[in-house]
Amino acid sequence: MGVATTEFIDAAAVQSKALGTDPAYVFVPHPVQDRTDDELRKMADDHLEAILALLVKKG
Amino acid sequence: MKVVLDPTAERSPSSRERLARPEQLAGLTVGLLDISKPRGDVFLDRLESLLSQRGVSVKRYMKPTVAKPAPLPLRQQIVGEVDLVVEGLAD
Amino acid sequence: MSAHETTLPADGLIAVVKRDCPTCTLTAPVLAELAARERLTVFTQDDPTFPESVPARVDDTALDVSHHLKIEIVPTLIRRVSGRETGRTYGWDRAEWERVSGVAGLGADLPAMRPGCGALNAEPGRLEDLLIRFGQTGLSARRVTFGEDEDEIEAMFERGWSDGLPVVPPTEKRVLRMLAGTTRDPKEVVGLCPPNLAELTVEKVAINAVMAGCKPEYLPVVLAAVEAALDPAFSLHGVLATTMFVGPVVIVNGPVRRQISMNARGNALGQGNRANATIGRALQLIVRNVGGGRPQEVDRATLGNPGKYTYCFAEDEEGSSWEPLSTDFGVARGVSAVTVFAGFGLQGVVDQKSRDPESLSRSMAESLKAIHNVKLAPACDALLVVCPEHERTFRQAGWSKARLLEELYRLCEIPGEQLVRGARGIEEGYPPSVAGTTRNKFRPGGLLIVRAGGSAGMFSGIIGGWSGGGFAGSLPVTREVKS
Repeated sequence: MGVATTEFIDAAAVQSKALGTDPAYVFVPHPVQDRTDDELRKMADDHLEAILALLVKKG
Repeated sequence: MKVVLDPTAERSPSSRERLARPEQLAGLTVGLLDISKPRGDVFLDRLESLLSQRGVSVKRYMKPTVAKPAPLPLRQQIVGEVDLVVEGLAD
Repeated sequence: MSAHETTLPADGLIAVVKRDCPTCTLTAPVLAELAARERLTVFTQDDPTFPESVPARVDDTALDVSHHLKIEIVPTLIRRVSGRETGRTYGWDRAEWERVSGVAGLGADLPAMRPGCGALNAEPGRLEDLLIRFGQTGLSARRVTFGEDEDEIEAMFERGWSDGLPVVPPTEKRVLRMLAGTTRDPKEVVGLCPPNLAELTVEKVAINAVMAGCKPEYLPVVLAAVEAALDPAFSLHGVLATTMFVGPVVIVNGPVRRQISMNARGNALGQGNRANATIGRALQLIVRNVGGGRPQEVDRATLGNPGKYTYCFAEDEEGSSWEPLSTDFGVARGVSAVTVFAGFGLQGVVDQKSRDPESLSRSMAESLKAIHNVKLAPACDALLVVCPEHERTFRQAGWSKARLLEELYRLCEIPGEQLVRGARGIEEGYPPSVAGTTRNKFRPGGLLIVRAGGSAGMFSGIIGGWSGGGFAGSLPVTREVKS
C-alpha cells in the first residue's frame, strides 16, 4: 500500500483508472516538507492504524 | 477505449483485485520502501519503530530516484524478501 | 446535413442509395422526377454529393439511418404516411416504383427492371459495428473496460483469465462473429459449470472460445464438447478436483472433422493444428473462468499433465476398417459427434516387428497393464490410439475392433497372486484375499479404441484414465455436433 499526501488523491485515482488497478492508499495532510521531525513522527503515529487496516484483512 | 466481454461467471468485481490480505501481521515481514522524497525517511523511521514494537519484522528499501518507477532488480528483491509493502511518502 | 441531425420525414418518400451502384445511377433521373413532384429525401451511403439530380440529399455515410431502416439492397424506395412505412421496394422495377410512389410512367426510357446492389450497412464488418454502436448485439455479459495505458494481453493475464498462455481479447465484435457460428440463442443455458455450478450460456462459451483462439466454425464442436463434459456421467467436478493426472480429452468424429480441417493424421496429438489446439483449450478456459476451477484451488492435481492446456484430436476414419468411436456410444455413422474422455498423457507403444495381430495385441496388452501401476487392476479406463500401420495389421488379418477388444481383455486378465501387496517386491496392491482370483485391468466397457496418426512409424499410444473408472468415477460421454 502507499502513503501519500492529500494532494495526491486525484492523481492516484486517475493513475489507478488508467492502469486498471485499485491500490490501497492512506492519505496524510499536505504539506510535509515544512514539518518538524516530531510532527512527522506524530503523523506516523496518527496514521498507523489506517496503514495496518490496509495491510491486513478486516475483522 | 478497449472493451471486452467478461469470460467469467461474474461473481466478483471486474477490476483487478488486490492480492488477498493476510489475517494478521504476526510472522510476516513488512517492507518499507522510501520513494526518496525528502523527509520521507523520518516518517518511515517512525513506522519501522512502531511496527517493530508490535513484533513485526521490517526491512527497509530506497528507490534510487524519486523520478522513475522502482527499478526491476529492486522490485524483485522486495518481492523475494517481504510479504507486504508500505511505500511513501509522496507529497 | 448529416443523418443524425435529421429525423425521418413523417410523410413523403425516402430513397437510400450509394454512388457505387450502377442501378442507383440508373434511377437518378427517376429520383429527380419524384423530387420535383413531392417530398423526397434521399440518403446516400457513400458519397453525399450523389445524386446530383436531387437537392434534398442527406449524408448517411455513418449508416445510422440505413441501419435503422434495415436497408439490405440499394436503391430502396420507401413511402411513409403519418410517421409509418406503408410501402417499400428495392432495386429498379418500374411497376414496383410506380406502386410505392403512386406515380405512373416513371423512367420511361429505362429497362423494366434492374437488380440493385448490396447496401453498405449490411456488409459483415459494418453490420457488427452498427449493432455494437446501437447496443443491439444481444450480448448480456458484463463489459470490462481496460485502462487507456493497459496492455490488453497483460490485462487479461492479470485478471486471471489465462491458462498461462496469452488469450485473445474477447471484444464485442469477435464474440458477435463467434456467435454467428451457431444458430443457438446466446442466452441459452447450456448447463451449470463445475466446480462453482455457475450458469454457462452459449454466450459465455463463445467468449471463452474467442479467447482460446477458435474460429466461429468451431463453435458447434466446442458446444458439443461442453455438453458432453457437463453430463453428470462425466463427473466434471471430480475430473477437475482430483489429485490424479486427468483432464477432459476430446475426440471428434464425422464430417465436421474435414469441414473445420482438424488433424487426424501426423502429429494428431501434438501441436500445429488450430482446430485441435483451440477446441480443447476452449473447454479448459470455460472450466477455469466460468466454473472457477483452478490449479491449487479446487484443482488439486499432484502433477496434472500437459493435456490440461488442450487435448483434442480427430479420429482417422477414412480407410479404417473400424467404425468411428462415436458409434460405440450410439451415434449413427456419418453423424458428427464429440466424445469426452477423462484422460492423461500418452504412453507410447513401440512395435516395429509384429507381423500378426496376436503378437501386436500382446505388445499392446503388456503396455496397457502398466497404466497407473502394474499392481493395480482394475486400474482405470484407457483410450488406445492405434496408428494406421498397426490398424493395417489388424485389418489385413480381418480383426474387427470388437475382435481386438476381446483379445486385449483376455490378455489383460491378471492372476491375483501378481497383484497382492508385496508381490514382485512392491507394496502397492491388494489384500492377500485377492490371490486365487483373477482381475482384469479394465472394467467391461472401460477400454476404448480409436485410429489416428501419420502413416509412417509403427507407434501407437495409450491415454490413461482416472481411477475409479466406471460408475464411481467418470464415464466417457458422446454428444452430436449441432449447428
